[in-house]
Amino acid sequence: MLKVTTDVLSIDEAYAAVRRPDCGAVALFVGTVRNHHDGKAVTKISYTAFKEMAEKEFAAIAAECAARWKTGAVHIAHRTGPLQIGDASVVIAVSSAHRAEAFEACRYAIETLKKMAPIWKEEFYDAGKAWISG
Amino acid sequence: MKIAVQLFGPLAEQAGRSRLEIETSGTTVGDVVAALGLKIDPSVRFAVNTDYAPAGATIREGDILSLIPPVGGG
Repeated sequence: MLKVTTDVLSIDEAYAAVRRPDCGAVALFVGTVRNHHDGKAVTKISYTAFKEMAEKEFAAIAAECAARWKTGAVHIAHRTGPLQIGDASVVIAVSSAHRAEAFEACRYAIETLKKMAPIWKEEFYDAGKAWISG
Repeated sequence: MKIAVQLFGPLAEQAGRSRLEIETSGTTVGDVVAALGLKIDPSVRFAVNTDYAPAGATIREGDILSLIPPVGGG
């Protein structure tokens, strides 16, 4: 499943989405909201997205994973809206026949998502806020 | 021609809106962006409908141009 959603992200859903009988490995990455950035205390985060385009970028990432690492399945879910410290902002699950491909494809998926997916992060501090990229 | 323009993230915040429409005789992404009269940092990318597009890409009536400031997903 490839989606941008305001719903709470489910790791069980991600795992279930990529499990396959011909795959002996599932790599899972979860990005969570951290309580600090550049020495400042972060109180909350808000994500916004160009949903249709982001989901298209997710599909391109999944296609590239299949082409390069012969992955069984790729699940990418990114949450938008207000998130609290510790909340999962992104969940990626990748299955493959063997572990090396699952790890590599999962790493590729999160790194590419961070560069290409039209999603924006606004961090809030005790005093003020900032748009964070990269 | 009329082109719908979407702004996101900090650009939408700066402009005070996320959507606008512009009438232009330009035919490329760069023409439409210039016609907006906004201060656009070189780090901003563009998309026509749901695909990234360079400034030289052709844009047609009915297309939606999106201005994509540096992204921060993950």
